Amino acid sequence: MSETNSDRQRRGDRESAFYLFTQQRLPACKPVLTPPWVITIYFLVGFIFVPVGLFTLRASHSVVEIEERYDIECVPSQFRNDKVSYIQDDSVPKNCSLLFKVDKYMKAPIYIYYQLENYYQNHRRYVRSRSDQQLLHGRNFHGTSYCQPLESSNNRPIVPCGLIAWSLFNDTFTFIRGKALLKVNRTNIAWKSDRDHKFGKNVYPFNFQNGTWIGGGKLNPRIPLSNQEDLIVWMRISALPSFRKLYGRIEEDLDVGDYVVVQLMNDYNTYSFGGKKKLVLSTSNWLGGKNDFLGLAYVFVGSSSLTVAIVFMLLHLRSQR
Amino acid sequence: MKQIVITLELPEIEALVKHGDKEAIAKASLDCVKKQINEGKLQVGKESSIEFGLIIDGKSLTFAMDKTLVNDFMDLAMSCATVICCRSSPKQKAVITRLVKSVTGKTTLAIGDGANDVGMLQEADIGVGISGVEGMQAVMASDFAIAQFRFLERLLLVHGHWCYRRISMMICYFFYKNITFGFTLFWFEAYTSFSGQPAYNDWYMSSYNVFFTSLPVIALGVFDQDVSSRLCLKHPSLYQEGVQNLLFNWVLILGWMFNGLLSSIIIFFLTTNSIIGQAFRKDGQVTDYSILGVTMYTCVVWTVNCQMALSINYFTWIQHLFIWGSIALWYIFLVVYGSIPPTLSTTAYKVLVEACAPSILYWLTTLLVVISALLPLLSYRAFQIRFRPMEHDKIQIQRRRSESLERDVAQSRLSESSETRNSSELPEEVRIRINSLKGSSRRKNS
Repeated sequence: MSETNSDRQRRGDRESAFYLFTQQRLPACKPVLTPPWVITIYFLVGFIFVPVGLFTLRASHSVVEIEERYDIECVPSQFRNDKVSYIQDDSVPKNCSLLFKVDKYMKAPIYIYYQLENYYQNHRRYVRSRSDQQLLHGRNFHGTSYCQPLESSNNRPIVPCGLIAWSLFNDTFTFIRGKALLKVNRTNIAWKSDRDHKFGKNVYPFNFQNGTWIGGGKLNPRIPLSNQEDLIVWMRISALPSFRKLYGRIEEDLDVGDYVVVQLMNDYNTYSFGGKKKLVLSTSNWLGGKNDFLGLAYVFVGSSSLTVAIVFMLLHLRSQR
Repeated sequence: MKQIVITLELPEIEALVKHGDKEAIAKASLDCVKKQINEGKLQVGKESSIEFGLIIDGKSLTFAMDKTLVNDFMDLAMSCATVICCRSSPKQKAVITRLVKSVTGKTTLAIGDGANDVGMLQEADIGVGISGVEGMQAVMASDFAIAQFRFLERLLLVHGHWCYRRISMMICYFFYKNITFGFTLFWFEAYTSFSGQPAYNDWYMSSYNVFFTSLPVIALGVFDQDVSSRLCLKHPSLYQEGVQNLLFNWVLILGWMFNGLLSSIIIFFLTTNSIIGQAFRKDGQVTDYSILGVTMYTCVVWTVNCQMALSINYFTWIQHLFIWGSIALWYIFLVVYGSIPPTLSTTAYKVLVEACAPSILYWLTTLLVVISALLPLLSYRAFQIRFRPMEHDKIQIQRRRSESLERDVAQSRLSESSETRNSSELPEEVRIRINSLKGSSRRKNS
């Protein structure tokens, strides 16, 4: 029997997208987790993750890292019992030297980090204690109430205000190999977006670190904030209480057996709160620095996935019989 | 089925009616109904293996609902498989429904099409009105309106089952995704000496439930179908999942919450141990607060959306768009938010474009964390479907098998020449497979 016009129209309506949508009959893909699929997925995960993990581990092992804790060693023996008064006493000389022995060939650039521990840069009151507007516009910006109590001193505004800037890390390091001084590049250590857009090119430090309490380093009032890279690096809040910040780069290679003497000024007070200070020299590769965790985690997840695949397959076959 | 009839159309009652003494009629009717109820109860008590049907008319019902008799009447009614109350008034219909509700404590459904059913429809937990010949009063008083009585089957078996599954799954999933998100914040607090500093930028947190995880939940709650409508009608036993509350009990709810806790632990600890400490890029930069926030949040959004993809079995263009679109929306949001001036975007300024995207470690960490957080649920589902399948799992597997069988049959038909075989003859092996499948489905349904 031939279709009438109304039949054809009804059939057309029935297949229209709107009809399918309202009648909940959209074309659908309905996957079911059957055993073949499960086993395939687990094997796939295993066969991808284990090689990636091994590859990542190899990359991590190829990074060379030397780390030395110096905050206890650098305190002279007569002050070991009262480190706080040692650090707060300006008349005691704070220079100290460390010896780094290079065990593996380190290819330039070698990154220098200072590592602090038990230092809660991520504490809420600390994170809040800054004024982004003042960093861009300088003294003329007046909405700096979040910087309290370091908003002004002697009735004059502090630029940059707040606890973060006030606690600027101020240990300094010079590196000597053999008889020669190693050149340390201290530019380009901050993020470009910070330098260009968060710190003003016409903003200069003013009335900074002038109060009764000294929290950290002083700033050169003749250099604009956008060029004060130490400050910019320091003001980038760290994630956890134990963190590293970039100090500079050594642009020369270090050979096996080289001895690097570090002359440092142990100025920064981490003794009041039981913090630790460490100096780290590290190379980097496509993955970054030295951390075996990612590689090990990949291998672990991949191999457990393979184990589950095999167990599932055996259970499945056994219960099928 | 045996019938128990309670009626007042008996000769002795009619004789009294002729005399006209109202009090005497009432007393005699009450006694008569009482006698019939007791007889009925004896009958039911004696033969407990067969099913009984109770038939009572409107006049007898007035006496059966008398204070002294109502408990016996309800006992008798509840022990019968079916009760038919004919010639009852609207008020009686409503009173009966109320009695059933209070005596049994179960959920009642009433269906009717006329104005005389309105009382009953409103009294029942669920009132279904039929629109049509007798007007629209029933429809206006009802919770659901259908056009024909036979649509009740679809209403219960298809839409009832779908709604139950959708709502229970949606609630469990909603708790899950917020627990995953919230607990990462909580674990982070342990590392900020509990000062209250959130791990993420404020705008990330505000838009979590609005932009990045809301659409998939809507797709689940509105469009999900675990079993197609045809199969819902074919397997009415699926409806028992709702009656026995198999999809929304405490075990499932706590299980989803535990899944959320586990996901958050995996996300937090894998992320912090992978990217914190050493440089995360070739140029020697280390991770800071904003980068940790972005990485963890990326992992949360991926994990939560992929868990949704693992839990549902029905993917139309809507589900694909909502799930993968939500994940893509997160990256787009990061780019857009990161490009507005830093006085507004604070820690998110250029964080994806400048810091995270060029870092291979960021992408590798995301992959590791997401897959690790998905493996527990995948394992649970795989083992559950294989070794302890629920009703809807069994139906899906059966559908899968019959679909692949039909494909084999169609392929074998195509590969044969049309002259040597007629279309109704099937290959021997295929016929045996079909018979065995039919046998197993018959065994299942009986």
